[in-house]
Amino acid sequence: MSFRGVTGLARVAWRNLWRNRRRTLIVLSSVVVGVFVLVLFDTLNLGMVEQMLDNQLRLHIGHVQIHRQGYHANPAVERFFRKAEALRQQVAAEPEVRAVAPRVLVHGLLSSAYNNGGVQLVGVAPEAESLVTFIADQIVAGRYLTGEGSEILIGERLARKLEVRLGDRVVAMAARPDGQIGSEVFRVVGLFRTVSADFDRTMAFIPIDRARAMLGLPPDAAHELAVLLDDARQADALKARLQAALPDTLEVLTYRDVVPLLVMQRDLYAEMMYLIYLIIGVALIFGIINAMLMAVLERLPEFGVLRAIGMSEGRLFLLVSLESLLLGLLGTAIGWALSLPVYAYLARHGLDLAVFSEALAAFGVGSVIYPRLTLRVVWNAWLIIPLVAWLGALYPAWRAIHVEPVEAMRAV
Amino acid sequence: MNPNAIVQAEQVTKIYDEGAVPVQALRGVSLTIEPGEFTVIAGPSGSGKTTLLNLLGALDVPTEGRVFFEGQDLSTLSRRERARLRLYKIGFVFQAYNLIPVLTALENVEFVLLLQGVPERERRRRALEVLEQLGIGELAHKRPHEMSGGQQQRVAVARAVVSRPRLVLADEPTANLDSATGARLLDLMEQLNREQGVTFVFSSHDPQVIERGRRLLWLHDGQIEREERR
Ligand SMILES: Nc1ncnc2c1ncn2[C@@H]1O[C@H](COP(=O)(O)OP(=O)(O)O)[C@@H](O)[C@H]1O
Ligand SMILES: [Mg+2]
Repeated sequence: MSFRGVTGLARVAWRNLWRNRRRTLIVLSSVVVGVFVLVLFDTLNLGMVEQMLDNQLRLHIGHVQIHRQGYHANPAVERFFRKAEALRQQVAAEPEVRAVAPRVLVHGLLSSAYNNGGVQLVGVAPEAESLVTFIADQIVAGRYLTGEGSEILIGERLARKLEVRLGDRVVAMAARPDGQIGSEVFRVVGLFRTVSADFDRTMAFIPIDRARAMLGLPPDAAHELAVLLDDARQADALKARLQAALPDTLEVLTYRDVVPLLVMQRDLYAEMMYLIYLIIGVALIFGIINAMLMAVLERLPEFGVLRAIGMSEGRLFLLVSLESLLLGLLGTAIGWALSLPVYAYLARHGLDLAVFSEALAAFGVGSVIYPRLTLRVVWNAWLIIPLVAWLGALYPAWRAIHVEPVEAMRAV
Repeated sequence: MNPNAIVQAEQVTKIYDEGAVPVQALRGVSLTIEPGEFTVIAGPSGSGKTTLLNLLGALDVPTEGRVFFEGQDLSTLSRRERARLRLYKIGFVFQAYNLIPVLTALENVEFVLLLQGVPERERRRRALEVLEQLGIGELAHKRPHEMSGGQQQRVAVARAVVSRPRLVLADEPTANLDSATGARLLDLMEQLNREQGVTFVFSSHDPQVIERGRRLLWLHDGQIEREERR
């Protein structure tokens, strides 16, 4: 049928919708509430999982990492690159880059007078590191690194295991590229506590110069540049650009490459939203089926006339399902209109879930959640809800088209 | 077979077999409707008038016998094909429940053209034209509940003829009207028949209405008892 014909039918469907104002308003408000709840739920859920991932990335990973080629697959101490400072400046000049931190990394052993444990030693430039990660804000005792002297920052848990306190000495040992064992004495200047117990047990931060000295690396060497962006979504674009600009001896990775499991986890949480869609969709569809069925059954004689004057089954089906589809679209529009100001408010001020802050902290999320509106949310609401409304009309429409004109007109 | 016939029934019977006892509504009816007729099917209530009109209008199929519309055996058509035939070739006026309540008179008349896929502007023009012709142009923007029964039936006639069908079937079109209003409706149908050659077949059990037919088919107990021409 022509588009013209459809708009003509839509006009009839629209008027039919308002024949029983009360019934239509009841179903309409259920759709409105459904859409309102879905939009806020979906955007908050998305905001939360994004925040969760971002917090995990800002613990240590960053959004983009640069290493010597092959380091990610096999992080051996001899796979360092040179001219780290020049490279840092080059990367920092990219528009979407907020901060770049150079690191020297090595697995080693940390020993106190009482105990020892395997650690990841991270040689950092304190200033740059504090811009890329949260580490400087996680100090629970003592202070952050200054870059001067033999200072070391360890996790609270590691301190407990090693039975050391602030000011105590620890000895770090690690294999050097030249095959010898490098070792150095450090003084514990600070203890940190992050959301990750694992992190607090295994990470130890020292000034990058000390790390180079201990490992016998040249003064311009590093294993890693950790890059923080304004927005995690820019990572792929930056990676592509850097890969083209930098020599082949370097590898550029996004957080997707570095921690694919975290990304999968984020996606999984985001997908769980469809369960909510399912629940709300099912709740809505029964109301819609019920209302449409009533609307159809009380109009059977009228459908009989329509069939008699030659309306095809297809068009009658279209007419009835258009009524429901229009209801769904209208409800979605109103639900959106109502949810957007609330979204805007929450996007600005956040939703304070202080009551659940402990549970949220366990997920690596702060207690204030900011909703996040993406195209996906828009599509979800505008596709799923009208689709549900249309599905709810299928059975009633099927009843309508199976009317025998002769029977229907005799019936009343 | 009569090559002139619009519709032709041959020995049709109709048995309703849904209830406890089967009802034989038609018992071997044969008739031919030719272009230009103004024919009334007369008979008391229960004599089978509605059943017969439904068969002639491709709304139902006979138990036995055959109905030909423009030479085509209706029993060979699918439901969809019969709906299409009704849409393009037959106009209907029913006793009640005629108009779509949410549409104005004009839109009701247009609706048939909408189903036929006529563009909106032409639809509107033709529907208005018919309403004017039938002298009910002032009803164009009224909804059924704002009109009297007689006015509604006039709009129904307008809808039935707007697409210039081969045949208009009217099942007791005046049954719900007082006699003066009923007479005016018949005037209208007569006028269309005379001036535009619209073929009408209508049914009635009201002597005042029956006498208006130029051809009379008397139905009794599902059989044509008598035929008159005037
Ligand atoms: N669907 C049906 N089921 C059973 N009997 C029916 C049905 N339709 C009509 N009849 C019976 O068939 C006979 C003829 O009915 P109908 O054609 O409606 O007559 P009329 O229109 O002349 O009043 C009546 O006895 C009526 O009761
Ligand atoms: Mg009857």
